[in-house]
Amino acid sequence: MGWKEYFLTALIVNIFQMAIAFVIFSFQGVLPLNPQGFPGLSWDLAFMQAISFGTNTNLQHYNGEGICKQLPNCTSLTPGFPGLSYLSQMMAVQFLQFTSATTGICVAVAMIRGFITHSKDLGNFYVDFTRSLTRILLPLCFLASMVFVGLGVPQTLTGYQSITHTVEGATQTILVGPVASLVGIMQLGTNGGGYFGANSAYPFQNPSPASDIFQIFLMLLIPTSLCFVFGQLIGKKRETRPILWSAYALFALDLLIAFTPNFPVVGPGIEVRFGGFFSVFWTVVTTAVTTGSLNASLSGLNPLVILTAFNGMLIQATPGGKGVGVMYMVMFIVLTVFIVGLMSGRTPEYLGLKITVRDVKLVMIAFLVHPVIVLIPTVLAYSTGAASAIGVGTNSVGFTKIFYEFTSAAANNGSDFLGATANTPFFNISTAIVMFLGRFTPIGLLLALGGSMINRKRLTTEAGVRTDSPLFALILVGSILVLVLLTFFPFLALGPILGFFQGRVNGF
Amino acid sequence: MSTRISKMMSVRRPTLVSRKVLIDSLVRLNPLRLVANPVMLLVEITFFIVVAMAIYPEGFPRLANVSLQFFYVEVALILLITVWFSTLSDALAESQAKNTANSLRRLEMEVSSKKILIEAGSRRIVPTPSRELRKGDLILLEKNDTIPIDAQVLEGIAMVDESLLTGESTAVRKAPGDDVIGGSQVLSDTLTAKVTVNPDETFINQMIRMVESSKRPKTPNEQAVTIVLIGLTAIFTILIGALLGMSLVLSLAADLSVLIALYVCLLPTTIGALLPSIGLSGISRLYKEKIVAKSGRAVETAGDTDVILLDKTGTITVGNRQAVEFLPFPGFTEKDVGEAAFLSSWHDDTPEGRSMIRLAYENGFVPKEMNSLDASEVYEFSASTRTSGVKLAGGTGFMLPKSGGTGRERGRLRRKFEPHVEGGVPIGSDETEIIKGAPDAIKRIVKSVPANYDTIVQKISAAGDTAMALSRNREAIGIVRLRDVLKPDIKEKIMAVKVMGIRPVMITGDQPLTAKSIAAEVGIDEFQPEAKPEDKYDIVKREQAETRIVAMIGDGTNDAPALAMADVGLAMNSGTQAAKEAANMVDLESNPAKIIEVVMLGKQLLMTRGAVTTFSIANDVAKYFAIMPVLFASTVPELKALNVLGLGLNTAVLSALIFNAIIIPLLIPLAMRGVTFKPSGTMTLFLKNTMIYGIGGVIIPFVGIKLIDVAISLL
Amino acid sequence: MLNIKGELRQNYGPAIRLAVISLVLCGLVFPLVITGFAQLIFPSQANGSLVQFHGKTVGSSLIAQNFSLPIFFHPRNDSASGVDPDITVQDAYSQIPRIASAAGISADRLQQIVIQNEEGAFWIFGTPYANVLRLNLALIDQTGNAAYKDFQ
Repeated sequence: MGWKEYFLTALIVNIFQMAIAFVIFSFQGVLPLNPQGFPGLSWDLAFMQAISFGTNTNLQHYNGEGICKQLPNCTSLTPGFPGLSYLSQMMAVQFLQFTSATTGICVAVAMIRGFITHSKDLGNFYVDFTRSLTRILLPLCFLASMVFVGLGVPQTLTGYQSITHTVEGATQTILVGPVASLVGIMQLGTNGGGYFGANSAYPFQNPSPASDIFQIFLMLLIPTSLCFVFGQLIGKKRETRPILWSAYALFALDLLIAFTPNFPVVGPGIEVRFGGFFSVFWTVVTTAVTTGSLNASLSGLNPLVILTAFNGMLIQATPGGKGVGVMYMVMFIVLTVFIVGLMSGRTPEYLGLKITVRDVKLVMIAFLVHPVIVLIPTVLAYSTGAASAIGVGTNSVGFTKIFYEFTSAAANNGSDFLGATANTPFFNISTAIVMFLGRFTPIGLLLALGGSMINRKRLTTEAGVRTDSPLFALILVGSILVLVLLTFFPFLALGPILGFFQGRVNGF
Repeated sequence: MSTRISKMMSVRRPTLVSRKVLIDSLVRLNPLRLVANPVMLLVEITFFIVVAMAIYPEGFPRLANVSLQFFYVEVALILLITVWFSTLSDALAESQAKNTANSLRRLEMEVSSKKILIEAGSRRIVPTPSRELRKGDLILLEKNDTIPIDAQVLEGIAMVDESLLTGESTAVRKAPGDDVIGGSQVLSDTLTAKVTVNPDETFINQMIRMVESSKRPKTPNEQAVTIVLIGLTAIFTILIGALLGMSLVLSLAADLSVLIALYVCLLPTTIGALLPSIGLSGISRLYKEKIVAKSGRAVETAGDTDVILLDKTGTITVGNRQAVEFLPFPGFTEKDVGEAAFLSSWHDDTPEGRSMIRLAYENGFVPKEMNSLDASEVYEFSASTRTSGVKLAGGTGFMLPKSGGTGRERGRLRRKFEPHVEGGVPIGSDETEIIKGAPDAIKRIVKSVPANYDTIVQKISAAGDTAMALSRNREAIGIVRLRDVLKPDIKEKIMAVKVMGIRPVMITGDQPLTAKSIAAEVGIDEFQPEAKPEDKYDIVKREQAETRIVAMIGDGTNDAPALAMADVGLAMNSGTQAAKEAANMVDLESNPAKIIEVVMLGKQLLMTRGAVTTFSIANDVAKYFAIMPVLFASTVPELKALNVLGLGLNTAVLSALIFNAIIIPLLIPLAMRGVTFKPSGTMTLFLKNTMIYGIGGVIIPFVGIKLIDVAISLL
Repeated sequence: MLNIKGELRQNYGPAIRLAVISLVLCGLVFPLVITGFAQLIFPSQANGSLVQFHGKTVGSSLIAQNFSLPIFFHPRNDSASGVDPDITVQDAYSQIPRIASAAGISADRLQQIVIQNEEGAFWIFGTPYANVLRLNLALIDQTGNAAYKDFQ
């Protein structure tokens, strides 16, 4: 398939898949596997959630387990806090988590194919999709899910467990369900949408330090592997280096900033079994790979940790979400090779391909998408009164929450401060649009970039700038930081940086 | 040669900023003329907004403050100066380019020509202004005439002075088939020539048009840089728009003028202002080297060169060989060989011939047959026999040779040496026949070949020299060793080319041993010996098949296909019309070694563009730290912690704006003369320039803004 | 490229087929298979790690339950999940004087129980902690005090 056909096929398949999820969300109340009797989601929430899972974002404006006045049977639901039936968790959430992750791998590989010498097209989406799903994700998720069950993550369809007599003689509802089958794909596919509202802070989703470390490992696995896939596919393994090194250098920088304020201790918003260290480490990882799962409450973290979370989401390539992380890094490399590489006195080239006017155009537009879809809705959230309607203030705390919401949506990350409180038509529709554009515009543009490399003359001379050298990786890191900071610095200054100067320790 | 040129050019160099340039720069402030430079147009628009704020602050509720009117005037002024610096840079570059072009156009002044009309079989001379000549017209060129236009000689031989155009001081001999250039002068004799171009198609005109056209086509790299600039401008426009919105909805009370200051500081004004002049001054520098490029693209491509084909003669060696040693065969003395060389070269006006006479004379080998030379019979050089010589009548006497080689064109019997008469031609008892030529040619005509003949010849070739054999009365008497003289600096130039990762390939007609030795001496690893003109084409094709960018020079018609195929083809102006048409650059000085300079210039052009772009973007970091603390100072005082430079709150914005403006004129010299660099590998250049313009670009504004701030607060 | 609309129309069929097949495979078959294996291999974990105490199900070891009597260790209520089953060892120690005086058990004894149930000393990264339910069950078991018989 050419890039247009590949892209449109991926888009159409994804839209059909999201449409299926939309129907299941909307009608879960009358569909089977709903022992809690949750009603269907409102149309705007169903629309937003379908796009959220379909774009690998997993922003959640609901609590999966529901907030019910009377459990185990959710006869009286707290208004505005809908839950998901087992069917929705399986056939909408887990389904889209698999397909969006698969799509990510497919489009990345398709773009890389454009860079391979003698390649004739970008491949076939149907073939790529089927293979990535059945040969990579399903087997790996099977193993991962079984490990999680072993570590204590429930996997049952029998409904919530009722404890009639606790130690002190009270009643308690134990919120179980098909959790383990979701945790595997949500981390491995860098989706991040949890079964529970508290995500991986909830003990049933992340029972122990061991399961915590295993989830961190799963998050990093595919994005890191794809850096190697890049070098392997184009037949120049050395070219993995700039992508991998720069991604991990930026990741290390984020860790450094995150741990700068003090060595974090257990405090409000942090789970005891993870402690401060694994909570902060997780937060950096989950935004670095744009997973967006949480094992602590963001409100419990230092503003500098939040700053590094922004960093991960704004760069999207540290190493970024599975598939798109590599694509973004290639975008940054092309931009850096062009601007800085001119200073080598040769027409800039990458992998022996001369950078053309069209390449620069595609890359600049892809780079431009982000500020547009983050900044404009952030202003709109305040100017339309949508922010104050859900009780978000105009100080640095409030601004950080709104700015984070749209940054997370645009980066297809999914972590957020607002959670189910943002279940309003404005936030549902605006984030849905931002997520859709944030996902498919760059993918389309970068597939076009890959597509335009096909049949282009490849220089075998290697006389240009060596992109596989450590110094180039360093320059790449510098240029990424400058480009991203220049675009977002005033907003970071009004949010987490201001929070830091105001001396907030965990004041979100 | 080139020093003289640069002196010639420097006389006409304009004063840095003439009144004309000044007026031009002010005229360019017209917003309609700024449309081509969107970054600067935006700065000018913000200027008008701030002017409005200064005049009527009440018109900007929540965005302007009546008490800040004076500040608005200051900001507006700096914004206007920023735009003016940019137009000044444009005006300067264009005036410089025009001046260079005009100095060449002077050569093409309107002159009267003598057009030949052939009517009813008879010729008629019609005085015609050069403007009205057309391709194909016949013209008559007489002594002292200025040649009106490029033409090709049909009849006659004459000496022509091309020094004004090429800087070559010695007169050039023009014979049928040669090209003459408009603007040069006939020194002797008369020529009939056919006009080869229409008046506005001459090289000089093509060149001038490239400077003057304001719609000079942008090179691909220039277009791509423009896209980066537009992209960044779009990003910063969205960012400032969003910041303005945030300030209003969150009641952060940012002043519009400070937001505008931040906007202008972030916009890539430095590269936006200098981008047009970088390209234009690149062409100017090319003109100064007396090279006409048919497009800017070719110059940029030159920077990408991987392989450079160098003709040995003219590029690596000065173009003629010098006799350095006489080697006699057994039974003969060095003196015999020297005298024979002297005699055989007397009528040979080539540099080789002259050098043999000089060597013989210096060694005192002046033959007694001197007197009979005038009455001699001359065998002219023939390409088929590759020999030349002389047949002397008897008689003795002694006479010192006249100096130099001119004026020997007397009515003497001249004929070609006929090989079929070898051995059989009776040589009179008082006659002496001396023939010199290529060793294998001489070998065929002598009665017997000395035993060590081949050994000596081979030894000479192995040393990189050329052997020339001498025979006297069909007896091989000895060999003259001719040595190639390397051009000054050629070794350094080859080294520079190699350091930059470019592979030089030497093309020569010499035999392999000679070629190898010379190549080794100048440090070239690859060479093509015994090259035929079509070999160049094959090499270009072969290298291009391996995706290399090939640069080459050429002059003959045979070179045209290769020149057309090469990525960078530099034709010699002394070459044929076909070669010049096929090439994408022509060197008016016909100095083939300049291909190296063209490559360097191409690299410099790309580097300068990248350096100013990188510098411009890197600068923005410091400007954030200068303006962000002030932007929301009244409502978010905690952000003053970002004021790492300790700037005054009242002066920080002005300091950043002034730095942003003043960096433009400070970088004009860099834009005009280009980034200076030592020849080194691509990666080294890349890293070095990244250090200077990238990291330097981050640090310099911190220092500059602080210094300006200190200066302002002292006022 | 010219025929892109036509190609798309041809694509709708396969696209819908792929969407439906992936739905069944990922949304139904996969979780059901996992459920089957989980119930077979790890039935306790798969059903919520429920804790049996003297024959009765008293709760889940992974989910905090409310302890308000002064004789028990109390869980935290400011954590991210709201059901953090653990407290730091430090927290446990700070509760010892209250429990000791309310239940009449020596502080040494209580300290012993905390030490026995300590988990998570992850080199320098973790904070040692203890599971509140297990602490309290150990408390009941080991002290054998009549004061707890109501809760057995």
